Amino acid sequence: MNKNSIFTWIVMILSSLVLLFILAPLVGMFIHTEGTQFLETVKDKEVHQSIWLTLWVSFTATFIFSIGAVPFSWLLARKSFPFKNVIQGVIDLPIVLPHTAAGIALLGFISRDGFLGKTASLVGLNLVNHPSGIALAMAFVSLPFLINAARDGFAAVPERLEKAALNLGASNTKVFFTISLPLAWRSIITGFVMMFARGMSEFGAVVIIAYHPMIAPVLIYERFSSYGLNYARPASVFFILVALLFLIALRLLSLKRKEKYNNPDAQTD
Amino acid sequence: MLRLININRRLGDFALTDINLEVSDGQYYVLLGRSGSGKTQLLELIAGLEHPDNGTIILDNVDITRQRIQDRKVGIVFQDYAVFPHMTVFGNIAYPLRVRKADKKYIAEKVEKVAETMNIKQLLERSTNKLSGGELQRVALARTLITSPRLLLLDEPLSSLDTSLKDDLRGLLRNLNKAGQTIVHVTHDYGDAISLAKMVGVIHNGKIIQEGTVDEVFQNPSNRFVARYAGIRNFFKVNISGEDGLLTAVTEQNVRFKLNGAKLVSDSLLLVKSDLIVLTNEIPEDKELNTIKGKIAEIIPIESGMEVTIDAGDLFYVKIHSSDMKKLRLIESQEVWMSFPREAVIVLNGTF
Repeated sequence: MNKNSIFTWIVMILSSLVLLFILAPLVGMFIHTEGTQFLETVKDKEVHQSIWLTLWVSFTATFIFSIGAVPFSWLLARKSFPFKNVIQGVIDLPIVLPHTAAGIALLGFISRDGFLGKTASLVGLNLVNHPSGIALAMAFVSLPFLINAARDGFAAVPERLEKAALNLGASNTKVFFTISLPLAWRSIITGFVMMFARGMSEFGAVVIIAYHPMIAPVLIYERFSSYGLNYARPASVFFILVALLFLIALRLLSLKRKEKYNNPDAQTD
Repeated sequence: MLRLININRRLGDFALTDINLEVSDGQYYVLLGRSGSGKTQLLELIAGLEHPDNGTIILDNVDITRQRIQDRKVGIVFQDYAVFPHMTVFGNIAYPLRVRKADKKYIAEKVEKVAETMNIKQLLERSTNKLSGGELQRVALARTLITSPRLLLLDEPLSSLDTSLKDDLRGLLRNLNKAGQTIVHVTHDYGDAISLAKMVGVIHNGKIIQEGTVDEVFQNPSNRFVARYAGIRNFFKVNISGEDGLLTAVTEQNVRFKLNGAKLVSDSLLLVKSDLIVLTNEIPEDKELNTIKGKIAEIIPIESGMEVTIDAGDLFYVKIHSSDMKKLRLIESQEVWMSFPREAVIVLNGTF
């Protein structure tokens, strides 16, 4: 056995340990969930509602914020401006903040005394304990995933292609929509899926903003704290399965979208 | 007509300095320079992808220095083609017309016509990531030509093609130019300049150091850099003395040259055109010729025959045909005579 293969073996063993650490608790949870309990949870209307709420609120938050986040990512990838590095740091802040602290900060902003809360109350909307407040909490902690992935995607598009498009007569807007966006599409979708998934799994920030209506992570916590592990487990398993299905569906959709961009009639008209 | 007037542009440590250039309509202008000489930057300034710090760019009597890229009617084909990878060949060529919201039928007709000229009609529905370098080059050219540019800028268009494809594309570019297309072509390849250019400019360290027709530039290189481009390797530092019309140049190794000329600086750089050097086994009788005796140091095969390196104190490089090689029965370490007329000796002004 040469040196290289010893190194490879060590790397493989270490990798397996890390993988085991991630998989073992999940597999354990699946194994310890009894079939009858699981079926009861699947039929439970409260669980349905909370999972559905989690999915659509996280998806809506991701979709709405992507309208601003994607052009912002392009700006970060392509333009130089003062304090750009500071801004890059600010974008990553939600990742390092304790999520309950993020929730507290956001609550101050969206409660009736806060700026956004006051503005929303003018149109009769109370953001606290409301799906829109949950969406804001989810977006706050998950936006960096979309912005960073999309920024890397735009940065990887050769500037030459954008210059060529300008030279061929395209306006800056056309270049963005026909060259930069389609070529960064895969990274943007990855970021979109990451943001959606991260938003869906958020507990800390959401629980501060809205205990009710209950999103799935809050429901799981409530079942655990009120009734114990056995009662929380089937809901967790069900939520994980639904979330996985949703993520796979999104991935497949994004691949189809990518194929569409190879169609010559799809880009410019 | 394109005119660049006193163009300056600084990019970090590098600068384009005092660029003045004139390209008349229907011209094929080749800008020759090594990588890093500033030739691509100059093209990008003309195309409007970058802006000069100062100076003026005039196209057809209109100052386009600050004009939008899209309004210049200057087409550029990049060295790496910059073909859009997410579109088919058709999508690429149709792109300029689509962004101008042209009619679909018109686009289809125009694309087909230009694809036919470029001989890529059979590729139209293909994805661009399955094309060869030569095919990509034609797609990039077709995509630019469909805009009917007033001026076509080519950045090293032949550099990554193999020899047979190069010949094909050279033919295509020549025909385009014959049809009236004004072309500015930048390259590091002397062969491109010889085979395509009507006018040549040599750019070095951000400055155009010589300009003229191919013959003017390569028959009378103004300095060592340009001479090297023409394949001339026989350079000598010399001390020149004597009266007007009867000058003698002597190298540090005491090799002596007879040369024509007047009022030359005493310490100069001198070159000998290697194609005018004749090798013989005996001393030539013509006293007017320069005759130098030396020993063959090396014989190496080259495309057109052999290159013989002769040590005469200084090293001389002489290209000879294979048949002459056999006739003279040259071998390494053999002593030979080199002879060449005074016209073969050129004294250079710039000595860098």
